[in-house]
Amino acid sequence: MSETVLDVRDLEAGYEPGVPIVRGASITVRKSEIVVVLGPNGAGKSSFIKAIAGLVPITRGTVLLDGKDITAAPAHTMVRLGLAFVPQTENIFPLMSVEDNLRVACGILERREAPARIEEMYAMFPDLARQRRAAAGNLSGGQRQMLAVARALIVHPKLLVLDEPSAGLSPKFVSMVFEMLAGIRKAGVTILLVEQNAKAALATGDRAYVLVEGKDSHEGVASELWNDPVVAELYLGQRPLSAEKTGHAEKGGAA
Amino acid sequence: MSLQFVVDGLLTGSMIGLGAIGVTLTYSILRFSNFAHGDFMAWGTYATLAVVSAIGATFGKVAPIAPLSFGWPLLVALVVGMAFTALLALLLDKVLFSRLRAQGQAIIVVMASFGASMALRSLLEFSFTSRPTYFSRAIQIAMPVGFGIRITPDQIALLLLTALLVLGVHLLMTRTQIGRSMQALSQNAALARIVGIDVAGVVRVTWILGAALACVAGVMIGILVQIRPFMGFDMLLPMFAAAILGGIGSIPGAVLGGLIIGIAEAGAVQLIGAEWRAAVSFIILMAVLFVRPIGLFGVRER
Ligand SMILES: Nc1ncnc2c1ncn2[C@@H]1O[C@H](COP(=O)(O)OP(=O)(O)O)[C@@H](O)[C@H]1O
Ligand SMILES: [Mg+2]
Repeated sequence: MSETVLDVRDLEAGYEPGVPIVRGASITVRKSEIVVVLGPNGAGKSSFIKAIAGLVPITRGTVLLDGKDITAAPAHTMVRLGLAFVPQTENIFPLMSVEDNLRVACGILERREAPARIEEMYAMFPDLARQRRAAAGNLSGGQRQMLAVARALIVHPKLLVLDEPSAGLSPKFVSMVFEMLAGIRKAGVTILLVEQNAKAALATGDRAYVLVEGKDSHEGVASELWNDPVVAELYLGQRPLSAEKTGHAEKGGAA
Repeated sequence: MSLQFVVDGLLTGSMIGLGAIGVTLTYSILRFSNFAHGDFMAWGTYATLAVVSAIGATFGKVAPIAPLSFGWPLLVALVVGMAFTALLALLLDKVLFSRLRAQGQAIIVVMASFGASMALRSLLEFSFTSRPTYFSRAIQIAMPVGFGIRITPDQIALLLLTALLVLGVHLLMTRTQIGRSMQALSQNAALARIVGIDVAGVVRVTWILGAALACVAGVMIGILVQIRPFMGFDMLLPMFAAAILGGIGSIPGAVLGGLIIGIAEAGAVQLIGAEWRAAVSFIILMAVLFVRPIGLFGVRER
């Protein structure tokens, strides 16, 4: 078994005192894995990864990154600790140019390294290079998502955490996002992501956890989880996956 | 009519604009209207005056830099005054605003700034009386420069200083990491933290910048008009009108808004009478709020 990058133990977190939203969730992410967190709407998936990223107060449990305790470290120190977070919405600065969105995220890099690193991001996302002077708010949905991911990757994170990167995108862009994630993992970045789009996420991910009512209720190899009857009832059953289930995975699942 | 009002307006507009930069920064980054901003101006001016007096007491009479009405002591004192005003703003934030901000209700912070404004102003009146005072009583000869316009060397120097400061602030906001961080914080505070921006640090820089510029604006008023405890409070309406006319959060907007209001005021004084000066800011403010609430360079909230 390869080394553990993220180890979350028995995490309890919430927005108001005495009202925990995350209620004792535990997950592990190993080096170069893509781990998916699934779960019904309102299960607390976003709250869970926001708590890991230092954005929701933690009341119990621990978060270890590369063996280092980062439980409730202030959110702005997370990139320095090696954790880069891409929120689901409002994940770019709309009035700043594409380039300034990248520049402003370079705070922890050496001053001289930043321009080269920005060019590396442009090489990775040519769409962004073409629009470097445009206001980020004018980008298409898919391009915004790329910018948000580029902004997170620019600081060489050990762990990239994403909240529903495919939400609200057209099918063409959904597959593009998952190809992008597969490519990022190939480059050696470990990924933790929350997804509603279970089919695509399980196709790309290595392992998955199902979060229900703030707790991890189920864990498994991604490709097997799709066919797990318990999971189907817990999660997939609660959501009519009309559009998503028309693809091959469903047929494969039924076979 | 004479074009003199353009020069008068640019001068008043410079003072308003420099003040409005602080107002617009505080509003867009800290998310509240700081009614004590005018009193930062007054405190900065009195601090500068105090340092000028102290230098005078130590070094004796220093000849002004010809053809200006002031010498190096005022320049040194201005820098000290700017630092003092920045410290005052940081102190006020630490003991008052930051605690209230943490509770999350903007209106409480606004009311607190109103209270702080009254307290600061009263302290000035208590210490220095409400009698006007001056940096220099020397009379400057205004030079004719054509088109019926006359301008003094002090006025030229201060217009240049304003242009330099505005350019400097603009470059700071657009070309430096701290400036980009300030923009980021004003657009999305949570995302700013996610990308690694230390909000507390950016907030400090915002106060320092706004307060230092308020001090410069106050000293300009002191040089060209007079020094009074109410000098900053009287600037409050024009400064807010300028910030809103320019579009909240926009530095070029605040400066342009200040110049427009300054020129409109001077024009109104020349055309219809001095008693209308105060009404100009109010009318412009109302017009902007009715016609284009986001101002000249503003952007609609997402
Ligand atoms: N900012 C917030 N303040 C208070 N409660 C919140 C906030 N964000 C989410 N919640 C609550 O937390 C619960 C879980 O939400 P969320 O973590 O967004 O779930 P998911 O991402 O799985 O859909 C919901 O009941 C929601 O009402
Ligand atoms: Mg969510």
